[in-house]
Amino acid sequence: MSEHPVLPPESTDNESVAARLAREAKRQVDQSTLKKKKLVYLELNGCSGNIISLLNGSNPDFEYMITSMVDLLYSNSLMAAEGEQAVQRLFDLADSEEEFILAVEGAVALKNKGMYHLVGKIGDRPVTGLEMAELLGKKATHVISVGACSVDGGPSAARPNLSQSVGLQRVLDRHIIKLPGCPVNPDWFLGTLAHLLMFGEPKLDDMNRPLMFYSTLIHDRCPRRPFFDQGIFAEKLGEPYCLFKVGCRGPVTRTDCPTRKWNDHVNWPIGASTCIGCAQFGFPDRMAPFISYDTTKE
Amino acid sequence: MTGQGSMNFIFGKEGALVIDVDMIQRQIDLTFAEINYLIRLMYATEDEHTKNLTLNQMWNKIAHLQFLNQLLVAASFPQEQVAIPIPNSPQTTLPDSTNTPVDNNQREFTREQLAQFTGMNGQPAYVAVNGVVYDVTNNAAWSVATHFGLSAGRDLTQEFASCHTGQQWILDTLVPVGRLIA
Repeated sequence: MSEHPVLPPESTDNESVAARLAREAKRQVDQSTLKKKKLVYLELNGCSGNIISLLNGSNPDFEYMITSMVDLLYSNSLMAAEGEQAVQRLFDLADSEEEFILAVEGAVALKNKGMYHLVGKIGDRPVTGLEMAELLGKKATHVISVGACSVDGGPSAARPNLSQSVGLQRVLDRHIIKLPGCPVNPDWFLGTLAHLLMFGEPKLDDMNRPLMFYSTLIHDRCPRRPFFDQGIFAEKLGEPYCLFKVGCRGPVTRTDCPTRKWNDHVNWPIGASTCIGCAQFGFPDRMAPFISYDTTKE
Repeated sequence: MTGQGSMNFIFGKEGALVIDVDMIQRQIDLTFAEINYLIRLMYATEDEHTKNLTLNQMWNKIAHLQFLNQLLVAASFPQEQVAIPIPNSPQTTLPDSTNTPVDNNQREFTREQLAQFTGMNGQPAYVAVNGVVYDVTNNAAWSVATHFGLSAGRDLTQEFASCHTGQQWILDTLVPVGRLIA
């Protein structure tokens, strides 16, 4: 008998495929060849907005993420361990040969060798965000930049940038998946993470943003678009027309906000105000002014 | 006209568009039928995801309809030369094109004069690139006369070159209003 016997074609309906995948997953778990990947969620110089946004996720939600998707090894906002005990986990991980995914929120503060942003202390020695980003960034199997600050400095690097903050890529010479946004929509992070776990890296554009979330120009899917095409512009907020003349950045920002929406997929900025281009590189300085009443006339 | 099922253009004398009205009409009927089908599908389905998808398809169809409508308008008034941008057409790249009124391109701006067109206080927003002054007042990427931290009323040749190298087509979509002199 040949090594690869010819079998009748397997059924390809959804239930059969799901059953085969589940059977294969169970077999690998039983043989201990399938392990949940470890995730380190490092918060650097920022406002923790992305982790708060993440907690607002649904289908999957945060609970599903930590129980069924990954082994969350470190998140200074959410873990039970604290102080030196928590920081020690990061050093232990760096010393081990364990594989892990690194998600980084917040910018890297460079001033005074990183002393403007500390992750914690080991004994009396301060551990800077810069040190941690470099140490873990080199060893992670995948690195995800979560949010505007991590992607290119964002609000942390806005003028006058007292802490000399920069995006993660400036201190890490390696491939990084970038999820701009202030904050990142929970779906963008959880979706990218799920794709990494199940199928590997998602398709990225030339700025390393996952195409499945960042390929659509907001302007092209905006419910106010017909008003733009007809040249009917709102002169102040609250009017239902195109917000182009008061400062909308939808025409230069690529996300799926118009169809995905926020807060359990029910509303989004354009519903009440302008898009401020929070998911565009250069936010916030290069997206200013967010709103202006001193405008052009058509 | 040759070919079936797709839009056909023939460039007549001096690159002008010759448009097959019957074919556009057939396309419009087809698009209407598809939109009607999508509306019925929206009523029939309970699934949120399918609804979103259908809505997106409807957006596309309506955008297509609008395009066809503009084509029809263009076909109805050929002598007025309703502007349909033709990529890479010599008309749109040459400053002395017959597509744009001659006086627009002859207008000369000094840097001081250009600086007045900031888009503020109801002024139009003009920017200069490679010696040509363009109107960006109603350009979508120039909301409130600013574009990635740049403001209107200036010569942005350097900035354009640093971000849009080799993207001449962007300039082709802008409306030229004159020339920048020294």
